[in-house]
Amino acid sequence: MIDHLSCRSKTDNELVGMSLIDPDHFLCLSKRYEEKLLRYIIRISKFSREDAEDVLQEVFIKTYYNLNGFDSELQFSSWIYRIAHNEAVSAIRKKISKSTVSLEVEDLEKFGDDFDMTKNIDNSFDRKLIDEALSKLDEKYRDVLVLRFLDEKDYVEIADILKKPVSTIGNLILRGKKLFKDEYEKLIINKHSIIN
Amino acid sequence: MENKDISQIAFARIKGEGIKPISRQIFSIKRVLFWVIVGTSLIIGALAFSLILSALFNNDWDLYNKFGFNFILRTLPYFWFISLIIFTILGEYYYRKTLLGHRRQFIVIMGFYMISTIAFGSGLYLVGVGNYIEQSLFEKAPKYRNFIINRHEFWSHPEVGLLSGKIILIVDNQLTIIDSENFIWIIKMDNAFINEPLELKVGERVNIIGDITDVNVFDAKEIRPWM
Repeated sequence: MIDHLSCRSKTDNELVGMSLIDPDHFLCLSKRYEEKLLRYIIRISKFSREDAEDVLQEVFIKTYYNLNGFDSELQFSSWIYRIAHNEAVSAIRKKISKSTVSLEVEDLEKFGDDFDMTKNIDNSFDRKLIDEALSKLDEKYRDVLVLRFLDEKDYVEIADILKKPVSTIGNLILRGKKLFKDEYEKLIINKHSIIN
Repeated sequence: MENKDISQIAFARIKGEGIKPISRQIFSIKRVLFWVIVGTSLIIGALAFSLILSALFNNDWDLYNKFGFNFILRTLPYFWFISLIIFTILGEYYYRKTLLGHRRQFIVIMGFYMISTIAFGSGLYLVGVGNYIEQSLFEKAPKYRNFIINRHEFWSHPEVGLLSGKIILIVDNQLTIIDSENFIWIIKMDNAFINEPLELKVGERVNIIGDITDVNVFDAKEIRPWM
């Protein structure tokens, strides 16, 4: 039986090596990423929590099945996010699910900080509007914005997760931010015109 | 709603279904294979480039005035141009599939490929690999002759005064050659200008400009080396 407290002091790479010797250690690894990946899958797929949990199960199984394919030249975090991304995209293609979740308040604050939209909207984030603005973006922009601002990945990690050149990621983020801002402002204007 | 312990559920499935990680060797073989394809594509691309150089430098550009733009269209080494493009795309595609290949931009990878192909291919041409392969393929691979439309085909039109073939006999001022269609031709050289540094000998392949004067008899005005 694995002592999960002892897992905390181990790095991802150490746990990968240990999991290949004793599969019980894989549980430590999956627990470490469970919440982060579940949130990520929900954000990019807009699946319900229940559906996202099913996707996550498959992610963990695929991760374990391909564990020997992990190369320490990449970060384990990027590698497992890539598997989660691919699995989520494939699940989206299989099933077009209607959104039943909204972004968390702290997520929205992260967006707000970076986009500097607070000046325009007096620090009052409208969860539904930001959620809606994000959902209106093309998948390629939504993916990079979620990874950059909500999962706080750096450009190289995002490049590794999405398997795209680092410079392309930079361009997508730049363009994505602008498109997000445009969408958000359109929604704000619409909202005010309805109120008036 | 109570949150499920997904890790535990997935782990129970892994144990219950007896799922084992794929062997490390499979991944290693896959990685090596990608690099082998990348390297092989680069080598074939460079060979194609050396053959393009060989075809361009050996082309009879002075005939351009006589045949015009049609000359260029008929003598360009399309087969090698297409090979070069195909193997460059293949190399770029598989480079991107290597572990960190995705981090580099398309233009950077293509730039590296093009510079390497030009440098390596020029080197191969300079040491004579391009000419050697072209000649070997022409002589030993009959399908190659049928497959490519280039200067060989251009020189296989005796009806318009262009003939090519291998010398099989030299008697006085007369050659006997066999063309790529295996037809025997008598070449009269009384009025022929022989291009230097051509040395007429049995087994040598030559290009001839002239006119048909009788059945399988060709009156040569100029004789050139084949390559």
